[in-house]
Amino acid sequence: MPRNLLKFVDIAKRMPEKRAPEARRHDFREIYGEFEAARAKEQASRCSQCGVPFCQVHCPLHNNIPDWLMLTAEGRLEEAYEISAATNNMPEVCGRICPQDRLCEGNCVIEKGFDSVTIGSVEKYITETAFKEGWVKPPRPMRELETSIGIVGAGPGGLAAAEMLRRRGYRIHVYDRYDRVGGLLVYGIPNFKLEKSVVERRAKLLAEGGVAFHLECEIGSDIAFAELRARHAALLIATGVYRARDIHAPGAGLGNIVPALEYLTASNRTGLGDKVPHYLDGSLDAQGKNVVVIGGGDTAMDCVRTAVRQGAKSVKCLYRRNRANMPGSQREVHHAEEEGVEFVWLSAPEAFLGDGNVRGVRAIRMRLDVADSAGRQTPQPIENSHFSVDSTLVIKALGFDPEDLPSMFGAPELALTRWGTLKIDHKSMMTSLDGVFAAGDIVRGASLVVWAIRDGRDAAERIHAYLTAKAGSHARSAAE
Amino acid sequence: MSDRPHRHRHDEGERFVAEWRRNATHLEASGLYDPAEEHDACGVGLVCAIDGKPRRDVVTAGIEALKVLWHRGAVDADGKTGDGAGIHVQIPQDFFKDHIRHTGHEPGEARLAVGMIFLPRTDFAAQERCRCIVEGEILAMGYGIYGWRQVPIDISVIGEKANATRPEIEQILIANMKGTGARRFEIDLYIIRRRIEKQVLAESLRDFYICSLSCRSVIYKGMFLAEQLTAFYPDLLDARFVSSFAIYHQRYSTNTFPTWPLAQPFRMLAHNGEINTLLGNVNWMKAHEPRMAHEWFGDHMGDLLPIVQPGSSDSMALDAVFEVLVRADRSVPMVKTMLIPEAWSNQPSLAPELHDLYSYTNSVIEPWDGPAAICAFGGQWAMASVDRNGLRPMRYTITTDGMLICGSETGMVRIDDAEIAEKGRVGPGQMIAVDLANGKLYRDRELKDMLAHGRPYGKWTRHVKKLDDLIKTGADERVEFAREELRRRQLSVGWSLEDLEMVLHPMAEDGKEAVGSMGDDTPVAVLSEHHRGMHHYFRQNFSQVTNPPIDSLRESRVMSLTTRLGNLGNILIEDESQCHLLRLSSPVLTNGEFEAMRAYMGSTAARIDCTFETERADGSLRAALSRICQEAEDAVRGGYQHLILSDKSVSAARAAIPMILAVGAVHAHLVRKKLRTFCSLNVRSAECMDVHYFAVLIGVGATTVNAYLAQETLADRHRRGLFGTVAYEEVLQRYRHAVDQGLLKIMSKMGIAVISAYRGGYNFEALGLSRSLVAEFFPGMPSRISGLGLGGIEHNLRALHARAYAEDYAALPVGGFYKYRRGGEAHAWQGALIHTLQSAVATDSYSTFKKYSEATRRLAPVALRDLLDFAPKKPAISIDEVESITEIRKRFVTPGMSLGALGPEAHETLNIAMNRIGAKADSGEGGEDPARYKPKPNGDNANSAIKQVSSGRFGVTAEYLNNCRELEIKVAQGAKPGEGGQLPGFKVTEMIARLRHSTPGVMLISPPPHHDIYSIEDLAQLIYDLKQINPDCRVCVKLVSRSGIGTIAAGVAKAKADVILISGHVGGTGASPVSSIKFAGTPWEMGLSEVHQILTLNRLRHRIKLRTDGGIKTGRDVVIAAMLGAEEYGVGTAALIAMGCIMVRQCHSNTCPVGVCTQDSKLRAKFEGTPERVVNLFTFIAEEVREILASLGARSLNEVIGRTDLLAQVSRGSAHLDDLDLNQILAQADPGDYPRYCTLEGRNEVPDTLDAQILKDAKPLLEDGEKMQLAYNIRNTLRAIGTRLSSAITRKYGMVGLPPGHITLRLRGSAGQSLGAFAVQGLRLEVFGDANDYVGKGLSGGEIVLRPGTSVAYDAHVNTIIGNTVLYGATAGKLFAAGQAGERFAVRNSGASAVIEGCGSNGCEYMTGGVVVILGPVGDNFAAGMTGGMAFVYDPSDELARHINPESVLWQRIEVPHWENVCRALIEEHREATQSRFTAALLNDWDRESAKFWQIVPKEMVARLSHPLKRDAAAARA
Repeated sequence: MPRNLLKFVDIAKRMPEKRAPEARRHDFREIYGEFEAARAKEQASRCSQCGVPFCQVHCPLHNNIPDWLMLTAEGRLEEAYEISAATNNMPEVCGRICPQDRLCEGNCVIEKGFDSVTIGSVEKYITETAFKEGWVKPPRPMRELETSIGIVGAGPGGLAAAEMLRRRGYRIHVYDRYDRVGGLLVYGIPNFKLEKSVVERRAKLLAEGGVAFHLECEIGSDIAFAELRARHAALLIATGVYRARDIHAPGAGLGNIVPALEYLTASNRTGLGDKVPHYLDGSLDAQGKNVVVIGGGDTAMDCVRTAVRQGAKSVKCLYRRNRANMPGSQREVHHAEEEGVEFVWLSAPEAFLGDGNVRGVRAIRMRLDVADSAGRQTPQPIENSHFSVDSTLVIKALGFDPEDLPSMFGAPELALTRWGTLKIDHKSMMTSLDGVFAAGDIVRGASLVVWAIRDGRDAAERIHAYLTAKAGSHARSAAE
Repeated sequence: MSDRPHRHRHDEGERFVAEWRRNATHLEASGLYDPAEEHDACGVGLVCAIDGKPRRDVVTAGIEALKVLWHRGAVDADGKTGDGAGIHVQIPQDFFKDHIRHTGHEPGEARLAVGMIFLPRTDFAAQERCRCIVEGEILAMGYGIYGWRQVPIDISVIGEKANATRPEIEQILIANMKGTGARRFEIDLYIIRRRIEKQVLAESLRDFYICSLSCRSVIYKGMFLAEQLTAFYPDLLDARFVSSFAIYHQRYSTNTFPTWPLAQPFRMLAHNGEINTLLGNVNWMKAHEPRMAHEWFGDHMGDLLPIVQPGSSDSMALDAVFEVLVRADRSVPMVKTMLIPEAWSNQPSLAPELHDLYSYTNSVIEPWDGPAAICAFGGQWAMASVDRNGLRPMRYTITTDGMLICGSETGMVRIDDAEIAEKGRVGPGQMIAVDLANGKLYRDRELKDMLAHGRPYGKWTRHVKKLDDLIKTGADERVEFAREELRRRQLSVGWSLEDLEMVLHPMAEDGKEAVGSMGDDTPVAVLSEHHRGMHHYFRQNFSQVTNPPIDSLRESRVMSLTTRLGNLGNILIEDESQCHLLRLSSPVLTNGEFEAMRAYMGSTAARIDCTFETERADGSLRAALSRICQEAEDAVRGGYQHLILSDKSVSAARAAIPMILAVGAVHAHLVRKKLRTFCSLNVRSAECMDVHYFAVLIGVGATTVNAYLAQETLADRHRRGLFGTVAYEEVLQRYRHAVDQGLLKIMSKMGIAVISAYRGGYNFEALGLSRSLVAEFFPGMPSRISGLGLGGIEHNLRALHARAYAEDYAALPVGGFYKYRRGGEAHAWQGALIHTLQSAVATDSYSTFKKYSEATRRLAPVALRDLLDFAPKKPAISIDEVESITEIRKRFVTPGMSLGALGPEAHETLNIAMNRIGAKADSGEGGEDPARYKPKPNGDNANSAIKQVSSGRFGVTAEYLNNCRELEIKVAQGAKPGEGGQLPGFKVTEMIARLRHSTPGVMLISPPPHHDIYSIEDLAQLIYDLKQINPDCRVCVKLVSRSGIGTIAAGVAKAKADVILISGHVGGTGASPVSSIKFAGTPWEMGLSEVHQILTLNRLRHRIKLRTDGGIKTGRDVVIAAMLGAEEYGVGTAALIAMGCIMVRQCHSNTCPVGVCTQDSKLRAKFEGTPERVVNLFTFIAEEVREILASLGARSLNEVIGRTDLLAQVSRGSAHLDDLDLNQILAQADPGDYPRYCTLEGRNEVPDTLDAQILKDAKPLLEDGEKMQLAYNIRNTLRAIGTRLSSAITRKYGMVGLPPGHITLRLRGSAGQSLGAFAVQGLRLEVFGDANDYVGKGLSGGEIVLRPGTSVAYDAHVNTIIGNTVLYGATAGKLFAAGQAGERFAVRNSGASAVIEGCGSNGCEYMTGGVVVILGPVGDNFAAGMTGGMAFVYDPSDELARHINPESVLWQRIEVPHWENVCRALIEEHREATQSRFTAALLNDWDRESAKFWQIVPKEMVARLSHPLKRDAAAARA
C-alpha cells in the first residue's frame, strides 16, 4: 500500500536545481545539481505506483522504478539502492544520461497533464547517496572460479558484463584500444552531462573487484584474435560502433569539416588534461567560430553544447526533419536553446562553400510527407528554397556505422549482417564462432548506453549458461 | 392447474424423474454437481396449548397457518409439485386405537407408538424387505406390533413429478409390551429407529425413510403445496386428531427434484434458515463421537453412531444432533442454548449467571451458526427460537384462551382482535417455550434463568483457564534472527518485497488490511509459472442468497474469536469435567505469547517438527507427512493434550512443509483416528503472513497460530525505523488486530460469527489442488479441477529452498502479484495490450484490434479458458451467413460500475455508447441523476438501461426503479463477495450526495448483506416487490462464481428471476481488501458451467437468461462463455480501457491520472473517453465473434450456447502437475426437449396482489387525478400492497406529483411482507391490524400508518405491530406505527420520518438521513454505522447507553428547543394518525416526559446541522 505516495495531484514536478544558462555555458560541469534529501523524497512521492508501470515497461533494463521511488519517498535509501542496483550496473550513469523523456519519464502515466516523475534525477540521487554512504561495493564473489573470460571493449556493455560475470567468480579480462576505461562514456559524452569522475569511480570499483583491464590494446595488432580466444573460455565482443557516417556533397573535402566523435573526444581529452594537438591547433576548437552541426541525434546535441562552451561565435544545428520528428532528446534541445544554440529545422545541407577551409553551408528547406505505415514522415526538399549559412566549423553528427571487425581482428570467419554489425544467435547471443559472444552497439547498431548495459547483462547470463553447460558436458564425458 | 388426463400426467412425471436421475448421475460423476450443495429455506411455525392439554384447534390452527405460507415456498411449473410441507403433532392415541379395534385387535391401556414410514413403492421386494427390517428391530427390542396401516392419501392433489417419486406411505403401530415408561419407550424407539436405518443402509435399500417413530408424536409431510396438506392426508381432518402442539413447515428448495424425505418437520425440529458451519459441525461431531456415552443409551451407544447421516441436509444434521442431546436428558431449551447460543462473549450487559451458562455450553460443544428460526418439540417442551443474529423472523401471538401461535409471519392464524392477549416477536438468540407437562409458558429471560440456575455453571467454568491473563501481559518479544538468516527464511517461503510492502506493512502500520482495485488479472495459482504459496490454492467461500454475510465491523457484538484448547469431553453428560480447558480470546499469538503459552503447557504439550530433509530423494515430503501424522497420533495416545507443529528448524538441509498441508494432514489424521478432540493443534508457521493464510490454517483445523517469521520481519522493519516512533509492542498489536479483524471478516463473509464453528470447517474450495491430495488432507472440501499434488509441491519447495540457501543469496524478488512487474507474475492486462487496444478503438481499426486479440491469445495461460480451444463439428460457413454485428452487440453489458467509483463523464460515456448499440449499461450502486431519464438534445440517451439494487439501496426510489429495462439485484460482487463497502467521505461530492440522498463529505456504508435477503424466500420476495414497482422490467440476480452456485441459481430461477449473472472472481472494483480480490470466489468458467448444467437438469434453463462477466476481453472469450452456457456477456475492464484506463490500480485513492475513476475535478478534466471508442470496442468483439461462429459453421450465438462439445482442452498446465483436468466444466446435461438457451418472451410473471384490484378501483385517480379512499380486508398472503399503485402513480404523475394523502387505502387485518414498498407521495396506507417484514421498504414519499384493530384489549405500546427490516433504504415519506417493530428498524433509511413505540436490535443501522422517533425500548447495537439523520428515543429508565453502538454517533438529552419541536411535532402527528393511547399520555405530560428523551446524532453530522445541539451553542448563535 503506497504510503505517502501518489502526491502528483498536489505536488508539482521539480527537477534538481539547474544552473542558469549564462553560468553554465562557460564551463563543462554538469548542469543539474543534486536533489536535497527532502526534495528527492518529495519528488519520488509523486509516483502513482501504477498497476502497470509503463516506466518499467519502457525501460530497457526493466528497472523496478516504482519500487525504488516508493523506498526513496519513505527515506529508505539503502533498500532503494539495493533494488535499483539489482537491475542496473551503473544507475548513476543512466540517471544522468538516459533520454528519460523518451523512456521511463516519457511513458510515466502522469506525464500527460501533471509532468512525469523525475525518475532520472531520483535514480542519480539514490546512487550518489549510496556512493557517499559506502553502500556501493566492488563485486566480491563468494568463491573464485578457474574459468577466464575475455571482454573486448570497456564501454558500458563490456563493463556491465564484466561486473555480472565477476560476481559469479569468473576471472575477467577487459581489453580496450583507448587509454581509459569507459568507452563512449569517457570520450563521447561531454562532461556537462556526465562528469568523468563518475566513470572513473566505476572503473576503479571493478578493478578493486578483481577485473583486469588491458588498455591501449588493439585486437588484431597488439594481440591476435586467435590468441585471445585461446586465452579465454569465452569471449565477449562489445566494441561499439565508431565509423562516422559521412556526407557526400560538393565541398565535403574542405578543411574544418570534422566528424562529431573526433570533435567530442578532443574536447573530453582536453577536459581530462590530455594534450590534444588538433585541439591546441584550433582545428577542433570552436572558440570564436561560427559552428554548424549537421544532424538531429543526441551526438549532435552534445556537439552544439560543447561548441557553446568552447566559446563559439554562433552555433547552429541543421536537421532535415522538424523538432517533433528528431531522434534526439527534446530535453537536450531545450537545454541547447537555453544556451543559445539556433536550430534550423527542416533543412538539409547541399554543399559546403569555401576553398581550403569551409566558409559556409548551402542548404535546402524540406517538408515532411504524410506518415508511412511506421508512422514516420519522410522529408522532401522544397524546390528553390536554397539558403546559405556562414560557417567556419562544420561538425558532422550523422550517426555511426560499425567498423569492419573481421578484417581488423583478422577473423574473416566472424559473420556479419548486411548492416555490417556482428551476426549473433539471438537466443544464445553467440556469434558465428563458438564461445565468442557479442553485445551492445556492435550488434544492434548505434544505440543508447542503457541498451548497452542491458545487452552486457544479458550476455553475461548467456555466457554463464554456456560455460555451465560446457562444464556439465565435460563432467559427463569425464565420468564416462 | 393441469386439466390433462391423469395417465398422461403420470407419464410426464415419470419421464422427468427418469431423465433427472440420469442427468444428475452424469453430472455428479463428472464432479460438477454435488447434491450436498442443495439449500432450502422456508416458513416455519408452532402452535401450542399453553396448558399442555391436547385440543383440536391447535391442529386446525397449524393447518390453517400452513395454508397461508405458500408464498414462502416455491411451486414447480406444474403448479402442484411443491418443495415440501408437513406438520408434527401429538399422536392422537384414540384415533389409532380405534383403528386397531377396527382391525379386530384390542389395544391395551398403555400408550402405543406410531412409526410414519416411507417405503419403496414400486420395488415390492425392497418394500417387503424394509417391512421385515422394521418389524425385526421392534421385536428384537422386546416391543410388539399391532400391524401396518396404509395411510390414506389423495394423489390427485399432488403434481406429476411429486407423484413419480412418491413413496409408499405407511404407519407401523407398536405396542408397549414391556410396559416401560414413556421416556424409556421413546428412547428405545430412538434406538430402534437408528438400528433400522443402519440396516437399511447396509442393505442399500433405497427410498426408505422414517418420518417419525415415537410414542408421543407423529409427522405428516410430503411433496405437496402447503394448502394441500389435509387434502393429501385426510387423517388430519379427523376430529380425533388433537394435540397440545403443532409444528408446521413449508419448504423452499433450490432444487426441482421432489425428494420426499427432505420435507420438514424433522423428528425434533423444523428449521427455516441455513447452517453455514455445517461441514465443520459435522466433522466435529465425528470427532466427539468416540467419547459419547450416556446411561440412557448404555450399550446401544454404538447403534446411534454416526449421529449425522452422510448426505444429510443442514437441517437434518442439526435435527440429528438436537435429537441425541435431547434424548440424553437435556431439555429442548438447553439443547438450543448449546447448539445455537445467543451472542454472549462481547455483551458486557449480560447477567453473570447467563455468562456462566454460555461459557459452560461453549466448553462442551461448538455452536451451529447461521440463520435459523427453529420450532422444536421434544419430551415435555415445545419451543420456538431464533439464531444469535435474528436473521429469520419469528412472530408470536398469545390468545386469551391459552394458545401460543408462533411463526415466520404474523396473521397466519385468523384470530378475533378481542381474543388477542399479546403480540410479540422472538428476538436474536431468544426463545419462547411451553412446558407441556406442567402447562407453563416461558418467555426468553425466564427460560434462560431457569437454565442458568439448573447447575452450578459458574463454579464449573472456574476450571476454564483464561490464558490471556497469563500470557498477554509483558510477554517477552525477543528477536531471534539476524538479517541474513531472516532474508534466507523469507526467501525460503517465497516472499517478495511486494508481500512485505503491500501486505505485511500496512497491517502493522494501520492495523488493517491494505486495499486494492481493478480486480485480479493474474493466473489462477495452478496455471502460474511462479511459485505460489499453499494458501493460493484455497478460495474463500462466501454467502449469497441462501444466507447472509455479517457485517463484522458494525455488528462486532455477535462475533467471537474465543478459542478453547485442550481435551474435549463427553458432550452427552453435564458435569464440571467438561470445563478443564484453556481459553484464549483469539487464536492469533505473538512469538512471546506463544512461548509463554508453551511454558504454561509444560509437559502436556508435544512438539512436532514440520520440516523435511532436502538431501533425501523425491518423496521425502510424503514420508515427512506420514511421520508427522504418526508422531501426532503417538503423542495424543501418550496423553499429550496439546500438539505444537513448527517449521522453525528450517536450515540449509531442511525445508519447511507448507503449514497448511501439515495441519490439514494432522487434523484429518486425528479425526480419522477419532483422536482430534483429545488435543489442541498449535502451529508456528513461517509461510503464514496474511489474513488469508491464517484463515486457511484455522479452517483446516489449527487451534492457535503463531506467524513467527512475519513477526521477525516486523521486528527487522521496526529496527530500521520504518514505523517511525511507534513502539514495537504497538506494531505487533496492530498486526494482530489486523489479523483478528481479517479473520472475522473472512468468517462473516460466510455468515459465520464464531471461530469455533469455523475451525476445521473447510470453508474453502480448492482450485487446482490434486483431488487425491484434497481427499487425503482436506476431506470434504470441494475440489472441482485437479492439479498440484504432493509431487508438484515438493518440486516447488525444493526449487524455492535451493534458491534461498544458494551461496550467492540475493535480495528478495520485487514481486508482481498485485501489480505488474517485469519478471514477476503474468498479468492479463499488460502495457502493450492496453496501448494496442486503445489505439484500435481510437482509430476504428479492426486490424489493430486483431493484433490485440492475437497478442492476448499468445499470453501465458491466465484463466481456465486459456487451456481450451474450439473443436469444430461442422464445416466453416461464409461469414455473411452469420447473424449481424447489431444482433450480437445487443448481448453485451457493461457491468455495474457506480457513479462514485467512476467519474460522471466516464459513467455517462458508457451509458450513451451502450444505448446507441442497443446494448445495456449497468448503473452500479448509487442512484442516477433524474436528468438522465430524458434523452439529451443531440439524441444521446445517458440513462442506464440496467439499474442496480444493491445492499446500500442508495437512491433506489420508485422513479429510479421505473426508468430502466432491467433491475439487477447485486447479491455479491466478484472482487469482494460477501463483503460490504464504504465510500469514504472525500469521495462523496455534492452530486453523489444528492443522488444517494446523503450528506456531502460524510462516509457512506454499504452493508455486506441485503437486509431484506437473508434467505432464498426473501430473494423471491424482493424480486416480487421489484416486479410490482416496475411492471415491465426484467429482474436480474448477480451472483459470484463458487462451488454450489448451481443449486443457488436453481433457487433464484424458482424465485422468478429473469436473468442470472455469474461473475468471476477476477471482477474489477473501485476498492476492496487485497485478500478478497485475490482469494475469494472462483473463475466464471466454473460457476457458469455449473449453473447452466444444474438449470438444465432441473428444466429451468429455457426460462431464464444467463449472463457472465469477469475478464472477458475478446470475441474468443465471448464464444467460450456462450459454449459454457451464457447468452449475455459483461465487458467491464476492457470497456474502461477503451475509455482511457491504463490499469494504474489506484481507483480507491481518487487519483486516477486519466480521469476515469475519480471524483477530483482536476483529474476528471483529463478524461478523453468517447462513446465512439466504446462502440468500436463492442463492434470489434462482435465481429470477432462472427468470425469464430463462421469457422464453427454456426449462424448465430444461440446455436453454440451450452455446446461444450465444441470445446476441447488443449493444454494441461505445467509438467509437475498431477492432472489438470477441465472435464467438469465441459460436462453436459441432456436438455431433453427444451432448448439450451432462454426462450422466454417478456418476463417470468409473478402472481397478482391486492393491487390488481386497487388499480381497477383507483381508475378515477389514475385517469382523472381524483382524490380517493379505498378500503379492503387483508391477509398476510397479500404482499407489497400499494407498490404497483405507486408505479402507476409515478409513471402518470411523477414521484412527487400528487399531494400527500391523495389516495388513502384503509386495510384491516395482517398485511403481508413489503407493505407499502416504494410507496410514493400521494399514497397513504392505513392498516388496522399489523404487518410483517419489510414495511415501507424503499419508501419514496408515501405515508404508512399502523394501529391495532379497534377492538383489541391489549396494550399496543408493548406489543409488536411490524416486523423486521422496516424502512430499509427509504428515501422519503412517513411511517407511524402504534406498537413495536422487529430487528433492524429503519436500516439504511436516508430520508423517511417515522414514529414507533419500540424496536429490536440494530435499529437505525447505517442510517444516512431522516428522523426516527422511538417511544419505547430499543434493542442492541442501536445506531451502528449511522452516519446521517437523527433519532430520538424515549428512555425513562436510562438504558440506552447499554444498547447503543457508540462508534459513529453521540447522544444527549434534548437541549435545544428547535430539536424538541422537531421531535414533538412528529409525536403529535403520530398520535393523530394512530390514536395511540400511550402517546396521548406522553404528550399530556410533555413537560415532564420530554426530559426522558435522548437525541442521537452521527458524529460526522454535528458540525453540519442546521441548528446547534447544545444549549450554549444555541445561545451563542442567537
